[in-house]
Amino acid sequence: MTDIALESTAETNLRWRKWAIHGGRLALAIALILGWEYGARTLGRLFFAPPLDVLERIVTLARSGQMFTDIAATMRVSAAGFAIAAFCGVLLPFLLRRSLRATEAVEPYIMASMGIPKYALAPWLILWFGIGDLPKLVVVTLVVFYILYITTFAGIRGVDQRLISMARVIGASERVIAREIIWTSLLPFFFTGLKIAFPRAVSATIVGEFLVSTEGVGRSIEHARQISDTTGVFAGVVIAIALVLAINGIVNLIERFALRWRPVERDMEI
Amino acid sequence: MAATLLEVRALGKRFAQRQDRDKGREPAPWVIKDLSFSVRDGEFLTIVGPSGAGKSTLLNIIAQIDIASAGEIVFDGATVSTRDPRALRPGIDRRIGYVTQDDNLLPWRSTLDNVLFALEVQGRLDAQARARAEMLIRTVGLAGFERYYPHELSGGMRKRTALIRTLVYDPPMILMDEPFAAVDAQTRTQLQADLLTLWELGRKTIIFVTHDITEAIALGDRALVLSKQPSRIAAEHVIPIPRPRNVKDIFALPGFAAIHERIRADVQ
Repeated sequence: MTDIALESTAETNLRWRKWAIHGGRLALAIALILGWEYGARTLGRLFFAPPLDVLERIVTLARSGQMFTDIAATMRVSAAGFAIAAFCGVLLPFLLRRSLRATEAVEPYIMASMGIPKYALAPWLILWFGIGDLPKLVVVTLVVFYILYITTFAGIRGVDQRLISMARVIGASERVIAREIIWTSLLPFFFTGLKIAFPRAVSATIVGEFLVSTEGVGRSIEHARQISDTTGVFAGVVIAIALVLAINGIVNLIERFALRWRPVERDMEI
Repeated sequence: MAATLLEVRALGKRFAQRQDRDKGREPAPWVIKDLSFSVRDGEFLTIVGPSGAGKSTLLNIIAQIDIASAGEIVFDGATVSTRDPRALRPGIDRRIGYVTQDDNLLPWRSTLDNVLFALEVQGRLDAQARARAEMLIRTVGLAGFERYYPHELSGGMRKRTALIRTLVYDPPMILMDEPFAAVDAQTRTQLQADLLTLWELGRKTIIFVTHDITEAIALGDRALVLSKQPSRIAAEHVIPIPRPRNVKDIFALPGFAAIHERIRADVQ
């Protein structure tokens, strides 16, 4: 009897806490939109586009199909740059892992090249690669590469060496060890890297589009700015935010599936 | 008398000093020195020693995870020890199994998949192997927990999983490094009984390291006593208690008190 009573109290508590979180989120959203509206009314439309105007613009952009063309263009560059960066950023630590000397030789150069202001390279990249997708792709790749390289390396360094010894004794080949033990162990680090890197990739693409482009979310923001269309700028920003949130949601879903064996998720439940 | 399966000859080990402490000092102290013993095929050998006596180091060297600094090891007629870390052959072709002090289960694999891991990497995962894995899981009382992840199991259950993960691929020799040290006394007795049951099924050669004298007597045919560092064999005792043994009542068996007293006198 007592057990059942306790259990149901705990369940009610949990449900209540979940509602509290949803309620809190909603309250924050309302406060944010009201502040936004207040800003538009006091500062004027040039500085602040009213939320309803922005919403209307997004609907118009969606109806004309312009929004989807822009999103597709931005996503094309982001995803391609991201894929190249992810491939190199994960592969390189796996190759370097075998040799401490090679790692120590290469590391300072990688760190130094991290200091390069990537966006400042843009004019020079345009000179090299023209005004197509290529210069943007290079910037996105560079921005994302370091994040994944560093998180992957941190993950490899954190692998439990005892698991590797155990696998060797059992007769696992180095390939099996890399694939099963090292890769799975570093997945939590990898997903952390993904969550930082993907919004950066989208941002980098949008900044790239400011400079050179004929389409894309960045291009539509820049175009609106040139004609002092604040509503257009805001609409572009909201679309970019929605894009990043959607991608993050997908990454979270994949993460939850890939890391379902981890005990931490349960302990961290609200 | 069965043939000698493993022979350890004048084994010595010292670890490389850390660079910052190394300047102009004498070489690192010996952890193990002049240690010799041999194990017969099918024998259950226990090794007792105080904490820090280099017991794990000894097993790591036999399992070929670590190199020896002196002496040699002959396994199944061939010298297998080496001074070159890159020439190590851990588990020498799957003929030496190793149950470590930490269970070292893969946290992303369920009980069953952890047990099958060895067979999987060895490319021997057929219906027969699966059946054997399931039989072992039932024997140690893990039926019903096949789909659980390690963090969902108790300490004793994890130990059992680690044990049968090694037993399932049937290596002729198994090293065990205080595998039951971290569980409560009652569970430990049960695990010891389980181990003896499993051992009676196949009579593998086992080298079982422990700091618990009672455990050494309950399980072994013969017990070696290690000295403090640098460790060598301080004494050897044949356990006079006949098999099959009831681990739970080991204290009451004739001869237990006497052998316990003698081993304790030798353990420093």
